[in-house]
Amino acid sequence: MTNILIILLGTSMLYVFSVSRIEAYVKILSLQGFLLFLLVVIDIREINWVNIAFLSIETLVIKAIIIPYFLLRVIRRNEIGREVEPYITQFYSIIIASLIFIFGFVAAFWAAKTNAGIKPLYFGVSILLIISSLFLIINRKKIITHILCYMMLENGIFILSLSVANEMPMLVNVGILLDLFVGIFLFVIFFNKIQEMYDGSHIDVLTELKD
Amino acid sequence: MISLVLFVPVICGLIALILKNQIINRIALLSSGLLYLVVSAACWFNFKWYWFPGWLLTYFHFDTAGLYFFSIMTLVFCSSAVYSLFYFKEHSLSARNESIYVAELLSFISVMSGAILATNLALFWVFVEATTLTSALLIYFEKKKSSLEAAWKYIFICSIGIALAFVGIIVLSIGSRQINSLFFSDLYNHALEIDPFWLKVSFAFIFVGLGTKIGVAPIHAWLPDAHSEAPSPVSALLSGTLLNAAFLGLLRVQGIFIHAHQENFSNFIFLITGFLSLLVSAVFMLRLRNYKRMLAYSSIENMGILFIGISLGKYGIFAVMLHVLAHSLSKTSLFLTSGNILYLYKSKKINSVSGLMHTDNVTGWIWIVSMLSIIGIPPFPIFLSKFMLIKAFWLSGMYLLTIPFLLLVIIVAFGMGGTVFKMAFGDVPINYIPDKRPVFYAYVPQIVLLIILFVVGINMPQRVFDFMNNAAGFFN
Repeated sequence: MTNILIILLGTSMLYVFSVSRIEAYVKILSLQGFLLFLLVVIDIREINWVNIAFLSIETLVIKAIIIPYFLLRVIRRNEIGREVEPYITQFYSIIIASLIFIFGFVAAFWAAKTNAGIKPLYFGVSILLIISSLFLIINRKKIITHILCYMMLENGIFILSLSVANEMPMLVNVGILLDLFVGIFLFVIFFNKIQEMYDGSHIDVLTELKD
Repeated sequence: MISLVLFVPVICGLIALILKNQIINRIALLSSGLLYLVVSAACWFNFKWYWFPGWLLTYFHFDTAGLYFFSIMTLVFCSSAVYSLFYFKEHSLSARNESIYVAELLSFISVMSGAILATNLALFWVFVEATTLTSALLIYFEKKKSSLEAAWKYIFICSIGIALAFVGIIVLSIGSRQINSLFFSDLYNHALEIDPFWLKVSFAFIFVGLGTKIGVAPIHAWLPDAHSEAPSPVSALLSGTLLNAAFLGLLRVQGIFIHAHQENFSNFIFLITGFLSLLVSAVFMLRLRNYKRMLAYSSIENMGILFIGISLGKYGIFAVMLHVLAHSLSKTSLFLTSGNILYLYKSKKINSVSGLMHTDNVTGWIWIVSMLSIIGIPPFPIFLSKFMLIKAFWLSGMYLLTIPFLLLVIIVAFGMGGTVFKMAFGDVPINYIPDKRPVFYAYVPQIVLLIILFVVGINMPQRVFDFMNNAAGFFN
């Protein structure tokens, strides 16, 4: 069951590569949050209610509902429809996406062979998510897409941390979540300011500072 | 004491934010500075008192290196707190804007001390990410188009970098699963049990992440923009303390490598990036048009020198400690003085500024002396630290590297010196509109910092020397 969920998470990234409507990105983000929640719930290893409650709130409430809702509101208010033509065209990006997928699965096979005590599929898919979100951030021009892909990168890191058996102290977990939350909040504030001050909201307008 | 350092600035900031009163703002800012001075002094004289829940002690601790960096931060913070008063006056800020500035600055300071004192690698990460978030708003404080661009680049590039550093931390916890702890002390004690492969992979990620924050080439893109667009006292804090806080984290990670006897791998990476940073700043230094950007590139150069120092292992570490102190204080003095120049000439362009000695000779002299300090003219301590680094090259058998090192350092010194002298001397521009000179507290912090540097360079107090040695010994 967890394997199906994790594969679905990987596939959701492939979908991101192929669409250019920004709202679709937000839906995927919300779906990823929900899948992460299911993964956490199905994969409970210990009965520590504080931890379970914390992880559920993190994934279901924050990652699947609050942040996507917040971003969707920003997108609708600013009437952003589609991603502009990226630096590398859609066709080639999908080829690159496939290569990243192959790399992710190779990493999973490799992780299965080592005795490092990590869950192979989690490891592979997290690598896949991290690399593909970094690629999307480099390739896409709209600032809002960058914010969305940053969230997907964070999801990738979350799966990576699930692949490891060790757990962080609660203080650290709360800190990480707080950082993420405030980070997204600030990103959106700056995004709105850029939208106000400049005509467009893709990074090509930010070229005033250079040497 | 730790709870004072972590919570009092935040509480002061909140009070300032709620009351929105000019006098309260200033009291909040200066009293936090004073508190930091008192705490640093108390720690230097081994005077400790505890009033707080014991669990905080597990997560935060004043170790020698931490206290050393904390003391440097205190000096820089106090200087920029005093200078901020001039910044308020110069921009005639409203009480509301002032209180926002104070609240942001104090929360920035508080999370920075959290990063310096954290005993857990993941907790350190949390605080470093928090420094990005709190300082981004300060960079955008002047609400100009260019500062918005700088703040966006800063927050986004650093957040991605820091996210990668977290990947590194998770990878490290894969390699150290027998230890099942990310406390530095546990990692040091059981360093030999960590799987070398995962340790190296994790280093790559942590290095890229914290390197982004430190601003070494080739991942320095945000640094010149943010440093040049932030208000001058904030630029001083960014360069004098934020880079150090991230650097201390990397030093602590290097400690794991030293304990695991894997330092050859990390030293090589430090050496390459160090020289690359020197090269980048040397190339840009000769063609800059903005004097605050010049100071930012000088920060990249000095971070490069620190990296080279770490790569030389036990031979270079004392020089690194001395260089951290000297760079922070000199750079703070330079950034604060650049605020005076900006006030006098209303321009950040090098070409618009000349004849500084005629318009305001005190600013002119501080500008020149601080520049002499940062490029390493004796008796200032940067001369000593660079000299010790050259000695370390010979001791570690890499004497050929002295040539590129000296060449690049001289190019930077030449570029920076030429620009500073051009600005200080010559005729006053025709379109210069004379204004009142800055008030006395726009000079005092720089003069105090330069006197400290002078004393350290001429005759270092034994206590400071011992302390630096201990801090350096921590990583040997």
